[in-house]
Amino acid sequence: MAHRRCLHSALLHATALISLKKSPPLSIVKALTLKPNPVITTSNLEPSWFTPWSYVRHFSSRKSDDSENEAEMEDSSDGEEESDEMASDMVRDYSPGEKEAEAAAIGYKVVGPLLRSDRVFKDYEPVFAVVQIGSHQFKVSNGDSIFTERLKFCEVNDKLILNKVLLLGSPTQTIIGRPILPDAAVHALVEEHALDAKVIIFKKKRRKNYRRTKGHRQELTKLRITDIQGIEKPEIKTDGKPLKAAVKKPEKIAATA
Amino acid sequence: MQMALRGVWQLKKLIVSYCDWGGSSRGIRAFMESELPTFKEKNPQLEVVTELIRGQHPHLKGFYKNKNERVVCVKNMTPEDILLYATRLRNALGRKVVKLKTRHVTKHPSVQAMKAALPKHSLVGGK
Repeated sequence: MAHRRCLHSALLHATALISLKKSPPLSIVKALTLKPNPVITTSNLEPSWFTPWSYVRHFSSRKSDDSENEAEMEDSSDGEEESDEMASDMVRDYSPGEKEAEAAAIGYKVVGPLLRSDRVFKDYEPVFAVVQIGSHQFKVSNGDSIFTERLKFCEVNDKLILNKVLLLGSPTQTIIGRPILPDAAVHALVEEHALDAKVIIFKKKRRKNYRRTKGHRQELTKLRITDIQGIEKPEIKTDGKPLKAAVKKPEKIAATA
Repeated sequence: MQMALRGVWQLKKLIVSYCDWGGSSRGIRAFMESELPTFKEKNPQLEVVTELIRGQHPHLKGFYKNKNERVVCVKNMTPEDILLYATRLRNALGRKVVKLKTRHVTKHPSVQAMKAALPKHSLVGGK
């Protein structure tokens, strides 16, 4: 590199010289070699590049040293970069769909497609399920909301299927899993990813001049349960009431009339 | 019920306030050039407005559907951090940040037992 640099500077100076002196165009090396003495007397630039020219060998040796150093530097930097990449890959390497599915299986959820004009929100059904997410278990019903630890790989307004269901119940029937029910599924929707309120962790040892204050905000995900599948749901008897009301009204009208 | 219209984004408007002279706004100025357009495209339902406030520290203001405002000061932050805070504002509901009483919010605590119907001293017999 230094060799190239000194050549480049030599070229520049040589071209400057040639333009100044208006000499016939010669090859640059010949010009340098042929005109040592007049060059020294006339311009002041020569000693600056003439001296490096004599130090070519030093530069070349230094160049090898530099190259060695650069190679070492590059290797070490590459090593660090690789280790950094590995560390970041551990955090962010879940781009392939399979790995996402594996990680989701650990958290007992499967991410479904985003909500697009689906009518997911039903009325309350008297069916409940005991579902496990991570290490926490919840007894959920349709329309409930649950706060869990932050779930990765799902955005707000994503549909989830919680597949670790331990118990299903209805007013007439109870299905107990050992420990999981394989055919049951609980559908949920991610409502928000938010931070909990700040908790101040204060440590003190009295008479020992030791006091520490630390703030902590836990990252939570709010899920809304939309559907429970795997159990026979009791029929809702709302059809009877409107019919009776309709029947009553014409009777009243008839009575008044 | 807050979430009467469920499946609806709760953040209506985001105001990105910055200063064109101050050094604390460097990060947000870089954010506005590099990451704000992609953020806008990803959230078409969100109205993002940039506002110039000279001589003051930059901040992000979020307006929610329940007329709640959340202000986050982003002075001396990198564009990646600012994107994280903007995403957090977008992901959150406008509710007040209080310590949770329970992790399970339900209106129908019991399916199989009608506690109101049975007197307290009798055993709950299922169904």
